[in-house]
Amino acid sequence: MASYTAPLRDMRYVLFDLMEGDGLASLPGFEDFTRDLIDPVLDEAAKICEQVLHPINRSGDEEGCAFENGVVRTPKGFREAYTLFREGGWTSISCDPAHGGQGWPKSVGILIEEMICSANLSFGMYPGLSHGAYVALHAHGSDELKDTYLPKLVDGTWSGTMCLTEPHCGTDLGLLRTKAIPEGDGSYKITGTKIFISAGEHDLTENIIHLVLARLPDAPKGVKGISLFLVPKYRLKEDGTPGASNGVSCGSIEHKMGIKASSTCVMNFDDSIGWLVGEPNKGMRAMFAMMNTERLSVGVQGLGLAEASYQGAVTYARERLQGRALTGVKHPDKPADPIIVHPDVRRMLLTHRAYVEGSRALAAWVGRAIDHEEHHPDPAVRAEAEEFVALMTPVVKALLTDLGFEATNLGMQVFGGHGFIREHGMEQYVRDCRIAQIYEGTNGIQALDLVGRKLPAHAGRNLRRFFHPVSAFIEAKVEDEQLGEFVQPLAKAFVRLQQATAQVARAGMANPDEAGAAATDYLRLLGLTALGYLWAKMAEISLAKLNDDPDGFHRAKVATARFYVERVLPQTNALFAMVMAGGKSMMDFDEAAF
Amino acid sequence: MANIDKVAVIGAGTMGAGIAAQVANAGIPVLLLDIVPADATNRNAIAEGALERLKKADPAAFMSRDAARLVTPGNIEDHLAALAECDWIVEAVIERLDIKQSLYAKIEAARKPGSVVSSNTSTIPLSALIGGLPTTFASDFCITHFFNPPRYMRLLELVGGPATRPEALEAVRHFADHRLGKSVVEAKDRPGFIANRLGVYWLQAAVIEAVEMGLDIEDVDAIVGRPMGIPKTGVFGLLDLVGLDLMPHVNASLAAALPAEDPFHALNRPVPLVDKLIAEGYTGRKGKGGFYRVNREAGKRKEAVDLVTGAFRPARKADVEAIAAAGRSLTALLDHDSPHGRYAWRVLGRTLAYAAFLLGDAADEVEAIDEAMRLGYNWKQGPFQLIDKVGVDWLVSRLEREGWAVPPALRLAAGRTFHRIEAGRRQVLGLDGAYHDLVRPEGVVLLDDLKLNRQPVLKNGSAALWDIGDGVACFEFTSKMNSIDSEIMDLLGKSIRRVKKDFKALVIYNEGSNFSAGANLGLALFAANIAAWTEIEQMVTAGQQTYRALKYAPFPVVGAPSGMALGGGCEILLHCDAVQAHAETYVGLVEVGVGLVPGWGGCKEMLSRWSSLGNLPKGPMPAVGKVFETVAVATVAKSAAEAKELLFLRPSDGVTMNRARLLADAKAKALSLVEGYVPPAPPVLTLPGPSGKVALDLAIGSLRRQGKATPHDEVVSGALAEVLTGGDTDVTTPLDEEQVLELERSRFMRLVRHPGTLARIETMLLTGKPLRN
Repeated sequence: MASYTAPLRDMRYVLFDLMEGDGLASLPGFEDFTRDLIDPVLDEAAKICEQVLHPINRSGDEEGCAFENGVVRTPKGFREAYTLFREGGWTSISCDPAHGGQGWPKSVGILIEEMICSANLSFGMYPGLSHGAYVALHAHGSDELKDTYLPKLVDGTWSGTMCLTEPHCGTDLGLLRTKAIPEGDGSYKITGTKIFISAGEHDLTENIIHLVLARLPDAPKGVKGISLFLVPKYRLKEDGTPGASNGVSCGSIEHKMGIKASSTCVMNFDDSIGWLVGEPNKGMRAMFAMMNTERLSVGVQGLGLAEASYQGAVTYARERLQGRALTGVKHPDKPADPIIVHPDVRRMLLTHRAYVEGSRALAAWVGRAIDHEEHHPDPAVRAEAEEFVALMTPVVKALLTDLGFEATNLGMQVFGGHGFIREHGMEQYVRDCRIAQIYEGTNGIQALDLVGRKLPAHAGRNLRRFFHPVSAFIEAKVEDEQLGEFVQPLAKAFVRLQQATAQVARAGMANPDEAGAAATDYLRLLGLTALGYLWAKMAEISLAKLNDDPDGFHRAKVATARFYVERVLPQTNALFAMVMAGGKSMMDFDEAAF
Repeated sequence: MANIDKVAVIGAGTMGAGIAAQVANAGIPVLLLDIVPADATNRNAIAEGALERLKKADPAAFMSRDAARLVTPGNIEDHLAALAECDWIVEAVIERLDIKQSLYAKIEAARKPGSVVSSNTSTIPLSALIGGLPTTFASDFCITHFFNPPRYMRLLELVGGPATRPEALEAVRHFADHRLGKSVVEAKDRPGFIANRLGVYWLQAAVIEAVEMGLDIEDVDAIVGRPMGIPKTGVFGLLDLVGLDLMPHVNASLAAALPAEDPFHALNRPVPLVDKLIAEGYTGRKGKGGFYRVNREAGKRKEAVDLVTGAFRPARKADVEAIAAAGRSLTALLDHDSPHGRYAWRVLGRTLAYAAFLLGDAADEVEAIDEAMRLGYNWKQGPFQLIDKVGVDWLVSRLEREGWAVPPALRLAAGRTFHRIEAGRRQVLGLDGAYHDLVRPEGVVLLDDLKLNRQPVLKNGSAALWDIGDGVACFEFTSKMNSIDSEIMDLLGKSIRRVKKDFKALVIYNEGSNFSAGANLGLALFAANIAAWTEIEQMVTAGQQTYRALKYAPFPVVGAPSGMALGGGCEILLHCDAVQAHAETYVGLVEVGVGLVPGWGGCKEMLSRWSSLGNLPKGPMPAVGKVFETVAVATVAKSAAEAKELLFLRPSDGVTMNRARLLADAKAKALSLVEGYVPPAPPVLTLPGPSGKVALDLAIGSLRRQGKATPHDEVVSGALAEVLTGGDTDVTTPLDEEQVLELERSRFMRLVRHPGTLARIETMLLTGKPLRN
């Protein structure tokens, strides 16, 4: 049975040492968020995740959600856990104080999200989707809608959803058909069917607030004719409490590979009363407000599952006694050596570890940029942070979920046959992680977003926000005697990334298929180089602290950094070659021959 | 043939004054006369006022201040006697036959025998103008129809009558071609001549169809724009530009003059909307707007008139599915089954048919009609080129299907094209049904023609080297917008080696609308965005080395620019042994506009020029000061003449008025340098060093305090000052070229990393406008 202990030591390192989290309190609006306040909240979050959410992770997976007569029942213990979660104020952590939220910095929120995903991703889906709905409504809703719905979404009494996908359209939302007919009194009647709606129906909250994409009668074709509507499961009574049902029903729930305790619903809207969020035909814009934070959150899901898997794998590798070390007996007192003595097991564990800690650093970097984007007093810094976040959002989503899936697979592999059976929970991490590569825009779509939108935007300005700090760091440190072993490999990867970027831009401008062919490999090349930069920075920080390192944390950090630059970063060689090779070999392939 | 050494222009309106200015631009003294205003204290007030307006005109009417001094204003009562000194007298007075004729009588009495008289009329037939005048007048008289503005529009329609002496016609033609830089198209004495006859028809067709189909004007301008190779102003944008109020007058006079069977009458229906707009003061950009207007009450919102309701509404982007669906196929657009597709056909199909109808009526040559529309209306392709593009047979069958008349010229061309290339030569279908070689005037050589019968000596994606005969090679930029990139540098390096081996001289020339607006900023910004500093520095170094190799090559190099030659495009000219510039060449080192300093030897060459040619007081500082004041504010010369004043061109450099003669002139110049050619000696520059920098800094600081310089101007000017003053040097330590180049390079590299500079480059790329940060 897997256990989970929140990696608070590393989280604090990333937040305070790497990202200078002490500086958060100097941002307007964040004055209270000093380390004195942050530390105990991380402790509390760890406690509820370890003690309340994680114990029902595997049982929830075994039991799954139940669907009967239009009603969805969450697995045993979820309702109680949700009550504790809500009463603990965890639904309101990152929400606007004007609507009852606690206004925590994203830098901290992202760490709490990670813990929740490690402990119980299925559970995390319910408050996660609510938060997505909160973000869209907060950014684009009218004051009246916000005053009516936000407080309850923030305090978790109600939950929310995002209803985008329809049976015939997922990625290409321009095709969607759900109709919205104006009633003349400011409300609309919404009719249509939505599928793959996470948390569309469940038994955790009094009401469910759906944000639904639909078309107005005179709307233009395609994505320019989509509007966003708020549609509650129950209409509100005069006093604001849920009243009559609103024609919203759950048709069925999906049977899935993973996140089985999260309900994935077919939702039918039948003349359901709804209200417009934002402007008519500007629904995609309103939706993207939510989509960007959701994409970061999905990246963090990959990270969270990888962390949980790593903990299981390390424990097992220490305990599992099989055979002897290749170079001779290491534990003569035992019948066999623990498998952790084997190079290949160490390869798996260190790859796993380097992915996890690198991913955490990347998430923290973007988290801090979001805090700067929203709170920095200097508009120039805010703009630069926004550009950085725009560039890195698809990278975080795709890279962290791809690495998460690779890592959970490695974790399962360390267990051998015991990873494949359900008892230890390792295969659940693999299954749960798989969806993260798919939803909120598949990782292929993320890669297209990176090369097709983020790269050319503002004549390439977004790129500056990543390339310039990395280049400045390399220039400053490449000659450094101690750091050279980390910075020189980074410098090589960086040059490859520069060349690949120029190639993608050049080839992509002449032929969009070339950009598309390079996209996935390019995204990973950029992502692994970003991790290389963060690992070199972490090596710099920890090298300076080796003299005061009672628990060996910094020694391990430097050693992991060394592993990363020597054994992971060289992947960029292959990725570079693949990007530069272009897409001709695939585009020339005869379609009939597939 | 009689020389034209002095000219008179009578009538100081827009056209007359503009013609006088262009004559002055050619270096010819010109008398500008108009009537004496009633109760005038200053009897020359009208012509003098016109001269003052010319001096302030934007775009400039004069190419230099010297040119402006060649115009002498006067009046037709006191100064008629002076006509006796003039070889050519141009009449550009109001379009009234009685007024023109009474003026002609006065001119006839005053002018010297053998002088030529011409009218700039656009509507009155020559036969009417000479009616009742003596045969001596008729034999010296012709029509010279200029287009507005006369300096910039290259078309001149020349109409002779049966009595006109061939020598008189030839004298005007020669002068207009060589001295005024015009492309002279011979037109028949028919109403509207060529360009306006077809142009007015086209505009009327476009407007009447759009109004009757109730289309949106943005869509119309998009259809009758790029897809047809017509400037993106389309029709409504163009009418706003020239003035809506002209339309009814021009239409009426054309209609009055054309015979009853002319197809124009069928289209010349009244357009109440246009009358209403004019009545309300919407006469175009000169008034309070036209079909488009800027609504200041709505926050400077651009608005467009609704052709159905006549009300203004917010302008929007054109949205024409037919254009997207048609891609690059013009026939697909004309065949598109939509109102927009039908509109495209109804306008262009008619216009092309009318063009074919005009062959033999307005002009006998296909090329005359094509050239008139290219140069008079800025069409990319003339109507017969467009007919070839859609296909004569396609056009005929569509006309037949619509039940429209098929002009005989189209029958004549059935199964063929109007233009063709045969054995490397351009040929045009004649009215006799046979093809004839397209004959360029003596001294006109076009690279585009030469390319038809030879392969490039060298070529890559951005440039080519051509053998243009007599041992001269021509280096041509072929990159997008002729921007300079590493491929150009690469091929230029190779070309230098090749020319050394196989040729006597090199000309750097191309036939783009601009010689080169400088380095490819997009590439530079992209490299800067991804922090590719090494690559950027390599590009700077490569440019410096290549341009220097060009300068010291063992053969003469002649730069032959036309249009913009900015930044790196200016620097390459600075490294040539000589320049033969088209008069309309706009040279400047504009790097500071994007936050940089000239890095390909521009600073070095300008310092060297002002030191040796500047005629300045002694000491190192005056030359530095001159270069600084030119480059620090990105001064662009507005003509070749101005470029000489700024020493972007040397006093000895040549100027060609006619664009089409530039290559031949440049080649001749190059050949003239071959005999005994010795490459220039490398300059040694004595620069003031830090003390000079202090002086320039003071100047910058004061501009900054006056609010004339922005914070980033200060940064950029400071770097420029460091380069120009020679860095750490002092007057006792002269610098060689390499040292100044090193300064250019290091300051360039410092600036290109600056966020202020990156913001400037980015804004320039995205908006085409400089950022004042």
